[in-house]
Amino acid sequence: MLVNTYSKRVFNLAYQFAGSYQEAEDLTQDIFVKLYGALDKYDFEKNFTAWFLTLAKNHLIDTYRKTKWEKAHRDEFDEQFAAPEAAQGPEHNLIQEADRKLVWEGLNRLAPETRMAVILRDIQDKSYEEVADILDLPLGTVKSRINRGRLQLAKILKDRKEDAHDL
Amino acid sequence: MTCERIEELLSAFLEGELSQAEKALVEAHFAGCPNCAALLAGLSRTQKALTDFPELEVSPDLQARLAGIPERKKKFSFSFDFLLKPALQPVFAAATIFMTLLSFYLFNPDKKNIDRAINQKVHSGYNQVEKLYAKAGSFTDRLGDSAENVLVSVKNWKIFGGKEDEPYK
Repeated sequence: MLVNTYSKRVFNLAYQFAGSYQEAEDLTQDIFVKLYGALDKYDFEKNFTAWFLTLAKNHLIDTYRKTKWEKAHRDEFDEQFAAPEAAQGPEHNLIQEADRKLVWEGLNRLAPETRMAVILRDIQDKSYEEVADILDLPLGTVKSRINRGRLQLAKILKDRKEDAHDL
Repeated sequence: MTCERIEELLSAFLEGELSQAEKALVEAHFAGCPNCAALLAGLSRTQKALTDFPELEVSPDLQARLAGIPERKKKFSFSFDFLLKPALQPVFAAATIFMTLLSFYLFNPDKKNIDRAINQKVHSGYNQVEKLYAKAGSFTDRLGDSAENVLVSVKNWKIFGGKEDEPYK
């Protein structure tokens, strides 16, 4: 039941955070093992999804700190992230794909807490309030952290564009 | 507005969370600052790129591994968590003190003398207890005698129909 409901969500969170498919599978398994060990500590007055995602977030960031994945490369950006629809012509799609590639690789340059906040808000489409709940941080801190993370990624895109113009 | 301040407001600007006055100030800044305008475009593209990342499906292998976890957990469900309960802390403290004292006794090079001293103390204590017990016994006897005498004297009072001249035992 829990596996059916949450495996996809947790796996995607792990993959977006770690950037490695194999690593994400192992992390997802570890997170579910932790979940079953911690179920008796769950406070029924709290939102279960937020509680579980907090547990997942803690495990991902703790493992990141222990193993320092930033030394390893993220998986190659591939067709898994191909544009959903070719609505605005091939050239526009190529630009969007190049952006996605840069942003995907740029996620590794963000501090783990910032990366997690950006992933939850922009990829997982959580509200600021939900992100604050999962990260256990004040709303204002979450907003400024997400803005900072987006800016870091935006500067990568901007610099790359300027480099392309200079060539 | 400075460029640093504009950077702080970029996300709120894109998400339409600024007041009309703030929005006008930010837009005025963009008109005169191509760097910030380019950053806004970059931020917009970043958000588009992030939202376009599709959700991946969980592989059947991982799904099977996850489904197998609860059974494995049941087999090894014993936990030592109960040892961390705060209620047990005084017990652990007392046990630590006891073990420390015991180790002082067991590993003391003068253990024979300690044994002898303890032996003497125990015996003298036992003697004292015996004496005390004997005293208590005689006291009980005396108390019983006194109670009997009082009873007899009371019975001999005239108001109870006795003879006051009868001697006490």
